[in-house]
Amino acid sequence: MKRLPYAPRALWRFFLSLPLSGRIGLVISLLWIFIALFGSMLAPYGMEDVSNASAFGPPSSAYWLGTDYLGRDLFTRILVGARYSIGLALAAALLASICGTLLALLATVIGHWFDEIVSRLVDALLITPSKIFALLMIAIYGSSLPVLILTAAVTYMPGAYRIAHAQAVGLNAMEYVMVARMRGESIWHIASREILPNMIHPMMADFGLRFVYIILMLSGLSFLGLGVQPPYADWGSLVRENLSGLFDGSPAVVMPALAIATLTIGTNLLIDSLTSRKRIKIKEGQS
Amino acid sequence: MTSNFTVKRRDILKMMGVGAIASTASGLLVLGDAAHAQAAPMPKRGGKLRAASSNSSVSDTLDPAKGSNSSDYIRQFMFYSGLTELSPKMRAEPALAESFESKDGVNWTFRLRKGVTFHDGKALTAQDVVYSLSRHKLPETGSKVKVLADQFAEIKAVDASTVQIVLTGPNVDLPSILGTSHFLIVQDGTKDFGKGIGTGPFKCTEFTPARRSVGVRNPNFWKPGKPYLDEVELLGLTDASARLNGLLAGDLQLISSVQSSDAQRLMQSKKHAVLETKAGMYSDLIVRVDGAPGNNPDFVAAMRYLQPRERIVKTALHGYGTIANDHPVPPWHPFYATGLPQRPYDPERAKFHVKKGKLQGVGGELVCSEPIEGSVEGAQLLQQSGNQIGLKLNVRRVPYDGYWSQHWMKHPMSYGSVNPRPTLDMLFSQFYMSSSRWNESGWKNEQFDQLLVASRAETDEAKRKKMYGDMQVLIAEHCGTIVPAFVSFLDGYDRKVKGLESNPMGMLMGYRFAEFVWLEA
Amino acid sequence: MNSFVLKMIGRRIGVGLLTLLVVSALIFFMSNLLPGDAAQVALGQSATPETVAALRKQFGLDQPVLWRYFSWLAGLVTGNFGVSYASSIPVRTIVGDRIVNTLMLASVSTAVSVPIALIVGIVSAIYRGSRLDRVLGVLTMSVVAVPEFLVASLAVMLFAVKLHWVPALSFSADTSTLIGFLKAYSLPVLVLCCVVMAQMVRMTRAALINQLDSAYVEMATLKGLRLRRIVLFHAMANVVGPIVNAMALSLSYLLGGVIIVETIFSYPGLATTFVDAVSNRDLPVVQFCVLFFSVCYLLLLLLADIFTIVFNPKLRKS
Repeated sequence: MKRLPYAPRALWRFFLSLPLSGRIGLVISLLWIFIALFGSMLAPYGMEDVSNASAFGPPSSAYWLGTDYLGRDLFTRILVGARYSIGLALAAALLASICGTLLALLATVIGHWFDEIVSRLVDALLITPSKIFALLMIAIYGSSLPVLILTAAVTYMPGAYRIAHAQAVGLNAMEYVMVARMRGESIWHIASREILPNMIHPMMADFGLRFVYIILMLSGLSFLGLGVQPPYADWGSLVRENLSGLFDGSPAVVMPALAIATLTIGTNLLIDSLTSRKRIKIKEGQS
Repeated sequence: MTSNFTVKRRDILKMMGVGAIASTASGLLVLGDAAHAQAAPMPKRGGKLRAASSNSSVSDTLDPAKGSNSSDYIRQFMFYSGLTELSPKMRAEPALAESFESKDGVNWTFRLRKGVTFHDGKALTAQDVVYSLSRHKLPETGSKVKVLADQFAEIKAVDASTVQIVLTGPNVDLPSILGTSHFLIVQDGTKDFGKGIGTGPFKCTEFTPARRSVGVRNPNFWKPGKPYLDEVELLGLTDASARLNGLLAGDLQLISSVQSSDAQRLMQSKKHAVLETKAGMYSDLIVRVDGAPGNNPDFVAAMRYLQPRERIVKTALHGYGTIANDHPVPPWHPFYATGLPQRPYDPERAKFHVKKGKLQGVGGELVCSEPIEGSVEGAQLLQQSGNQIGLKLNVRRVPYDGYWSQHWMKHPMSYGSVNPRPTLDMLFSQFYMSSSRWNESGWKNEQFDQLLVASRAETDEAKRKKMYGDMQVLIAEHCGTIVPAFVSFLDGYDRKVKGLESNPMGMLMGYRFAEFVWLEA
Repeated sequence: MNSFVLKMIGRRIGVGLLTLLVVSALIFFMSNLLPGDAAQVALGQSATPETVAALRKQFGLDQPVLWRYFSWLAGLVTGNFGVSYASSIPVRTIVGDRIVNTLMLASVSTAVSVPIALIVGIVSAIYRGSRLDRVLGVLTMSVVAVPEFLVASLAVMLFAVKLHWVPALSFSADTSTLIGFLKAYSLPVLVLCCVVMAQMVRMTRAALINQLDSAYVEMATLKGLRLRRIVLFHAMANVVGPIVNAMALSLSYLLGGVIIVETIFSYPGLATTFVDAVSNRDLPVVQFCVLFFSVCYLLLLLLADIFTIVFNPKLRKS
């Protein structure tokens, strides 16, 4: 029997190694990523298609999830909206988490005045009100998608930095790190081999959360006119614009909220199962 | 005592019957007022009413010159009175001025009512009026109506109870202008407006910007017997659902600016009702005709035929609106140009114009903002239909803050919003005269300007109607402002509140509800 | 407390003041870069060049930016926070009540959310991998994934309008009695807890698991110590750092970020004042709010850092 090539086999083994909840999480996450990539091709209608359907129509064979406040197909809008909520938020969250973590690592390991200065600068960034920052970004750079990602990333990076820094500082004081320093290991080695692996799990949990925050924040920024313009909308905006249907008993507002919820739960189930299984530990004191 | 001129004027004004109560044919929802029509119940004195309007900000003000939103107007009408007041039939009735007359439309004499006192006991004199009106002309006042006030060439007190106003040119509409909230009368010399001392139906006992205003009955109000309520508390709640929930939960008895999507919910409650007021408020698509692509008349024509008028009224306004014909005069207005056929939604015709003007691929951004009624929905609908016939339209939603200084009129295509004005002259002068600062589309039409100036002096009512009709046709065919629909005002109220009627001047009875309503026990 | 910590506090306060200066200058100049100014906003649709110029003069906006910044700073020193452009009322008067309200809402929300978050986080960590952990995880994430305005709208619809258990408008309620207070605050606090708890729970869980998986805990279990003791005495001390930081971040949100809750419940807090001031380009109010939020955040962050050091014996020595 011909064996499957390496990558799918490895993926399959990985899949089997996860507990049930992790598998569910992985499937959900992959499904949404697939939709984010191919959603616009799969959608039955276009984003701006306003047919003669009535607003807040119930689910039917023509409109699987019903219609929104302008009579557009909700299913389409959620599918295409996935691109924004997932794509933009993922990019911004990765940017925020990775930059925050790396910067914190660097600051901790180099230490002394470098650490002080960087930490206080990041504190100043944390304090800066995001609305003013966002309005300023629009004013200077216009309201394109990269600007949107950058604004979201800059707003959430200081939080990631703070949490990473707190961990790194604790780990930095451990004996094995001091031993590594005395051995003459480079900053890079200490940061990446001794400290980072021991804090990667909490940072992954933090990333999961940051991702959700940014998904929700996107709608606020779009409302300000930054980035996603009508008729395109991210999920948060879909919830906001269909909110009035809530009182009429229309499911229109619930659907995008469910999308956000399922994505959130899926990715976090995955992250949880990755972080709570016994990992191969970097033994203390060994190079 | 009344001159020929005044009598004719009164006749003209009598004809401007635009009271919503009269026009039941327009499909009005006037629940709760059926009782009023059949057997007028006797007003009861007493009670405290808590109402909420839609604006709340630190810039809330008791300075009539600075009033910038409905909450300001409502608040100011609680505490101040004006020389005239505007009835539901859009007619300028005597208020603080017992009578007013002019022989030529240029020189006006206002005789003040005797025995009127301010809340602090001081008597109303002509000097108070002179001060209140003159201050609008000073730049440092920062008055919103400076442009209107520049028409006043001279304002002087002839004696303690007579004021003479000389205008720069004839304007038969002066009494109506003076009935708006900006021209409310304050005490001579007032610089600090925090106390709200006026001659209005309520005395201000509390004014906290960004929170609330409270007034108690003015026992010396110049309309004997009114107001009925002991106390009115006016809150500013910016969130529409907060207002609605407050009303439904019983925390409020009256709210303004009910969103059309919420009206149904309100009507389902047995204890509450909705009042629809058809007024002249509209959101228009402004196509600048002094640059591309608006300078191509085929483009503007295509945009006109693409306007999804019925859809906007049905979907964005949930039926609480009236289709408009690309000019700012509503169908129930006596001067409405009935001869002008209603322009339909006609994508085929639009396509014809696209071909004729070689407009394939031409387009641009439709700049809109959420709080401008129907603008974001309208822009999205336009984008879709426009792109189907070969235009290239995009929607650009921008933040509302700073909209009026950054975006309004400044892009090739943007949205504007106009509140009802008491007279067509005011409307046309402010937004359509070629030299006006708020000439939204930048059009210059000599014939229009001439007609406008001539109409101000025209006393023959039929001739005036024809002039206004011609002006509307000019706007509908040549101007870049495209008006798809008029937006109705929706007020929500507890059925215990009686006496609430429509006044097309604005929401909550032309902002003056406090004087007229009472509470059933 | 030992001298190291005291020295750190001293240093941080000094640096904090510097940070405040830098941030206030930054915001001042950033706000000036924003399109439009207070005069234009105040006049809105009816702005004409003369009226705008006249108002600008009145507000002092015709002065150069640097001059205005320094005169504001000078005013600060004497305790004068300036006068609002939008309303000509002293800033102090405008924000006085609002600060109290904001602090009240933040404290009540903290008092409710922190204990619950800690308990849920610790339990999840101890029983990690179990069904309980999964359920708690799913619950936590679903609660935070729902946008606040949806939670708030649902809550108001259900509890205020349908059930009439609580008033829909919080500030009109009578808070002098305990029942009245509970009624007025329960919905806003409920919504806020939904938003902030997730970060604290997740960080507690993740950081604690990290500790529980490490070698020294394995050794302690081998030595025969019971799990509970291990958690309380050993593991928790090491996780204080990230947990307290997560809390500081969540709480800083409670001070300045609750604009949606304040709007929907018409709660007169500082977040609304700030957002309005930005829209009105009302610089004196903006500056004050930024200053206030910055001071609070810096205090919270300082507290977080103190806790991190105090609880980690190794750091105290360095």
